[in-house]
Parts: sequence; structure tokens; C-alpha cells
Amino acid sequence: MQSGLNSEVFDKFARIAGAINNSEVENWKKQGGKVMGYFCSFIPEEIFIAAGLLPFRMRATGSCGTDQADVYFSSNNCSFPRHCFNQALVGKYDFLDGLVVGTSCDNLRRIYDNWKISSVKTSFLYMMDRARTSGEPMVEYTLSELRKLKAGMEAHFKVTITDEGLWQAIRLTNATRRLQQQLYELRKADSPPITGAETVPIMVSSFSMPKEKYNAGLTTLLGELRGVAGSKAYRARIMIVGTGQDDTFLCDLVENQGGLVVMDQACWGARTMCRTIAETGADPLQAIARHHTLDVPFCAKMNAAFQKRAQFVLDMIKAYRVSGVIIEHFVSCEPWGVDSVMLKQRLDEAKVPYLQLVRDYIPSQIGQMTTRVGAFLEMIGGVL
Amino acid sequence: MNGAKNDASVDAYTQLKTDFAAITAKSFQARLNEFVENKTPIIACTDDFFPELFTAMELPFYFSVRQGLEGAFHTGKGPEAVDGYSELGGSSSLCSLQKAAAYLLVKGKLPKPAAIVMTSTSCDAQTAVNELMSNYKPWAAVPRVSVDASFEKDEASMAYLGRQWMDCIPFIEKATGRKFDLDRLKEVCEESNKQCGLMFDFQELRRAVPSPVRADWGFIAYMTGRWAACGRPEATEWLQRLYDVTAQRVKDGLGIEGVKEKIRYAWFDILPCWSDKLFPRLEQAFGAVNLMDLYGYNAPWPVIDTSSLESIFTSFAKRFLIGNPMTRQIFSLSSVYGNDAVHIARNFKCDAMIMPSHVGHKDGAASHRVVKDMFRQIGVPFLVLGCDVFDERYMSPDVVFDKISTFFETAGLTGR
Repeated sequence: MQSGLNSEVFDKFARIAGAINNSEVENWKKQGGKVMGYFCSFIPEEIFIAAGLLPFRMRATGSCGTDQADVYFSSNNCSFPRHCFNQALVGKYDFLDGLVVGTSCDNLRRIYDNWKISSVKTSFLYMMDRARTSGEPMVEYTLSELRKLKAGMEAHFKVTITDEGLWQAIRLTNATRRLQQQLYELRKADSPPITGAETVPIMVSSFSMPKEKYNAGLTTLLGELRGVAGSKAYRARIMIVGTGQDDTFLCDLVENQGGLVVMDQACWGARTMCRTIAETGADPLQAIARHHTLDVPFCAKMNAAFQKRAQFVLDMIKAYRVSGVIIEHFVSCEPWGVDSVMLKQRLDEAKVPYLQLVRDYIPSQIGQMTTRVGAFLEMIGGVL
Repeated sequence: MNGAKNDASVDAYTQLKTDFAAITAKSFQARLNEFVENKTPIIACTDDFFPELFTAMELPFYFSVRQGLEGAFHTGKGPEAVDGYSELGGSSSLCSLQKAAAYLLVKGKLPKPAAIVMTSTSCDAQTAVNELMSNYKPWAAVPRVSVDASFEKDEASMAYLGRQWMDCIPFIEKATGRKFDLDRLKEVCEESNKQCGLMFDFQELRRAVPSPVRADWGFIAYMTGRWAACGRPEATEWLQRLYDVTAQRVKDGLGIEGVKEKIRYAWFDILPCWSDKLFPRLEQAFGAVNLMDLYGYNAPWPVIDTSSLESIFTSFAKRFLIGNPMTRQIFSLSSVYGNDAVHIARNFKCDAMIMPSHVGHKDGAASHRVVKDMFRQIGVPFLVLGCDVFDERYMSPDVVFDKISTFFETAGLTGR
């Protein structure tokens, strides 16, 4: 379905999301700036911003294969880290001055080990741990890890990361989150002015450019969107839950067949922005640690957090009047694979229809997936 | 079964096997049905959890993942459980042992525990199935606690983990009605220290050429000392006997009966459930002897410091993170796995190293290159298989045999 969106700002966001390197990164580098890549949403951009670096969240956009990465990984490993690493091996991430890999899942954390022995030369390569269970004692552990990261960055980049710098960075990223929350609010409408496929590049680009410019752009875009008449010509309102979503593949699959993606609980979407970090307190790093250990809806890798994750999904189903959920994850993703077993039970109890899709980063069997999504939409929304 | 030139050695190993069976039969794991019938409180916990506490409290426990082994693969029902798991629509790439454990859980075949203590442990698969257990609806009223294990291995991180476990004591007491006694725990820990020392000493005997025993004895020693009778004197006595009879074989220069040792290798992962279809063939065809598996390998176990409650639990954390097989290698950098494998290859005089790369071990699968490079540097041939150590349908033992055969031939190890 079309929403009538015609925006230069959106086009810019789409260009940035549609490639790894982009004009903003190039400008940043031309001005002598440094770029810090990072894996996973729990790695705090705020520390990088306070250090004067441009945070860049790693993705595999544009990857065509994993031939080089598979010398290090196995085909048994999740395709997302393999594609990301492959992009690094073919030079797409040569602009990085540093990389922080979070100890998230078994597949992804091995990027650190393999990057270290590979031909990719990144001067600052760091692995950061964090608590894998939610709870107050865990905040202290995550905080200790943040302090180590800060110290490591200060030593390497010869900068001082001050508390005031961190608070400023928190206020900046919170401003991003609040703007994105406004964007998502628009999707609650009967006729949202924006589709899921359009939301994805807006979200992805936020991790690939300076936040100040992004916030200014999104503010403009929100103003434009408020004047857009959306369409009610969709047959079902869909929420996507799971991994991935640094590209529009899944949203396109839904929306090209008459569905509308109105909400998500995904790594590049709502999970990253639905809660803000506290802007007051004694220690900004503690505020960040609390946010990532206690507040966010969490990915499936976080233990003792399923109930919270599931409740978030159910709350959003209500708030966004979702008619069906698509649970998606990559092949070889054990956390989401098993989480989906539990989530399906909860959705059954709540009588919410769902479809589970398991795919590779570059999906094969697109025809089959298209048919399954089409049948699902017909089942829950009828014929268009 | 290992044989020897003299009857005493044969008899000794036969007796050890018999006694191992008897020790196992008395273990908490083997008597779960009895405890369920008697309504004795049971703890469900993560694999690699410190059994010393449960021995001290005489508190029956079971490891969630081990149920997949004991309840499925060891009873011939592994394939049924693995296929049954697919009904749940979970990840098809999940380790088949975890699939079996998950299947048994949702089919109501696991004993309902009085409490669940889950630690964010080695791998994604185990952690995910722990979550499944913690959210299993029929057990919604079972009190549970989730403990966070750190990837970091410094002193502060050990204390962090140890403190969380220590804080579980009142929780366990309340949930089970069992009382914790520090003096008793100290006794058990001191016995456990002896056992781990013996397991390590036994391992060192296998540096001998020819190897006095097969690799499975290493795993049996681990099961005795860590699973079946941790901290109990009968396990210490058993391990001492194992050490003594094997030391004698080393002194006598005895190898494995009926095997003319020509190739020494290590199988650096879990011993497969279908071992009997592979290792004897390799012995007969090539004189190839498996020296070590992952559970038979003892990076030295940190000694439990029994000077205080806190020091005990910090020691437990050290054992868990840097001593315990699998957790040590998986929940760490690839270089730890590689360094351990290189250590075995060098010090146990391996002619080759086999990395089974069990399909469920995603971290291992992503470590091939790191480990291969290490082995290239030391000049020891290295093979990656990609098999399933539980479900032989994934890659049959025949195919594994062929791959290893080709590997031995290509590496110039045959025809000696």
C-alpha cells in the first residue's frame, strides 16, 4: 500500500539505510572525526558520543554472500554475523576506527575472535560483557563493564569522557528516542501516514549518522507526516517480533500483499527506543546500566525476562490494534527460536493469530515465504 | 573395556566399571522417580552447577540438560524426542540434546522440582531451554531464581557470581525445607578437592605412550567425581583406585588391549552417544587411539578455598567459569578452546586433533579458523567434522569414519 510519502528527508534516511558507508560518515571522517562500530543494541552509543566519536551500529546491508566469512565461521552459524563480517572482509567497514562487540549470542560474539585474526585492521577492538539476567545486582556488573569500556576508550583515543559529556549524550539519544516514539505513535492511527517498510530506514539510519542531524531531520519529517493522509486500504495490522529488521524485506513481504506493519519488537525498532534513559542522578553510567539491565523490553538473549518481553508484545498488540503477529528469526538463532515456543503459547492464550518465519539474512525460498505471508494475511484479514 | 597383560588389571577395570554403576545407581540422578514418589524436594538446575552444595544438604537435584541424555538418548528414545521437538516449532538448529530436554519438559516427563536455579551458562541453547523450563506453565508456582554468570574471568567477576549463588542458600532452604550447614559443606568441599586432584592426576597418566586407557575413562571419572558422587568418600576411593591401576599400567608400559597404538588423537568435544560405532573401528583399522574428550580434560580445577562461606562460593564460581569443561571453553574467547586443544596435542603427544564441532555448538563452529591457525603453527593435523554427537542420523558414524580415515591418510598418518 502507498502512504503518499514524498519527502527529501525520508529519501536521505533511505539512502543512508540503504548502504553501509554514507555521505554523513564521509563528511564526519573528512572533518577528522572517528567512527566507532558496535554490535548489539545494548552497547551504549552514549559513551561513544561523549568521547566525540560517531557511533555506527554494524549491519550487513548490501551483502551478497559469505564466501570470505565462511573461512572463519561455519554454515551452521547464524547468517547475520557472517554477512556482517563478510562486509568487513571485503572492505565495506574500512572507515571504522574502533569496534565494540557485545557478548550477546554465541554466534555474534565470535565476530570479535575472528576479527582479531583477520585481515581487517581496526585499531580499537573491544569485547564488552554485560549482565545476561535482569535484576538490581546485575546493574552493578553491567556498570563495571561500562566503566572498563570507558577507561579503554580514554586510553586508546586519548580523550576524557566526562560525566557532563555523558549526560549530554544521554539527553541527545533520549531526544532521538522521543522523536522515534512520536513516529511510532503515528502508526497507531487507522490510516497511518507511514508504512512499516518506510519506518525501517528511518530507524536504521539513526544508527548510522550524527544524532543531531538525525534528530533535526526526523523533526522535519514528523512535521511532514502529520500532513500526510494515510490509507485504510490494508487488510491486516501486523506486528513483527524477533531479530533482524535492518532491511525492509519482511515489511515488503507483508505490505506488498496488502498488510500493514504497525509495530515491532525488533532489534532495530521499538526495542531500542521505547524507553528513555534517566537524565538525572549521581552517575550517568549507572543510568545507562540501569536502562539496559532493567528497563528495555530486551532481546531473547536476556534471561528471566520472557514475561516482560511477552507482556510488551501483548501491550503493543492492544495499543496498536494488531490483528496478527509475525514471529521471525534467523536460522541458528537459539534464543529467539526457543523464545518463540513460549511466545506462541502466550499468543494462543490471548487468541492472537501468528505466523512464524525462520530465515537467513538473505532469504532463500522467497516464493514460499510470500505464499505463507499471503495466506496468513488472508486468514486474518480477508481478501482485499 | 581395557585389557592388560595381567589379570589383575583386567579385573580392576571390570570392578571399577561395576562400582561406577553402583555409585551411579545411588546418585540423586538415578533415584529421581523414588524422590518423586516420596515427595522429596528436588532442585532443577543448570548443568555444571556446583554439586557440592547439594551433597552437603542431601538435596536431590537434576541438571535440566542432562535429562535429554539420561531420559532420551541413553534410553534409545533420542530420535523420538528430537523429532517430537519439531512439533513445538522451535529452532531446528537447536542442539539435539537440548531438543530432547525441551521435549521431555513439555511432555511432562521431567520431575517437577521444588525450586529452579538457573545460571546463564555455557551456551545459547542451554540458556534458552532453561528459560523454557523457568516459564513452563504447569510449574508456574515453582519458585525460581536466575543467576548471571559473567563472561569476564577476573576476581571481581568471580565474586559477582559467587555472591549470587551464596544468596541462593536461603531461597533453597525455604523452597525445600533443607537446612544449610557450613561445616558440612566444608567437609564436602575438601573431599571434592581431593576428587578433582585425582581426576587431574589420572588425566596426566594419559600422557604415557602407549595410552594406558581409552578416552571414555576420562568421562567416566568426571561423571563419578562431579555428577554421581561429588564430595562423597566413595567417589574419592573409586578415583584413587582408577588412578592406582592406571599408574601401574603406565609403569608396565601397557597400552589398550588388542590395539597396536599407531595414531594418537583427541576428540575435543563431547563423546558421541554412538562412540561404540566409531572408536573401535578406528582402533582396529588404524591403531588410532582417542586420548581425550572435552569432559575428560581437566584444566586444573581451582581448589575450593574453605576458609569462609564467601571464599567457598567464589571458588565455586572459579570452578564453573575456568575449570568446568565446556563452560571453560565455550563461555570464553576462542583462544581458550584453541589453547586447551594445543595443550593436549603437545603434552599428550597427539598425532592429530579432531574437532567434532557438534552442530549444536555454534560458538565452536565459529572458532574453527582461530583453532586451525593455532594447529597450523604447531604442525599438528587438524580436522573439523560438523557432526551431531547425540543424533547419529545427522551424520552417520560410517560417514564420520570415512572422513577421519581420509584425514588420517591425507595427513600421512596411516601406513606406519
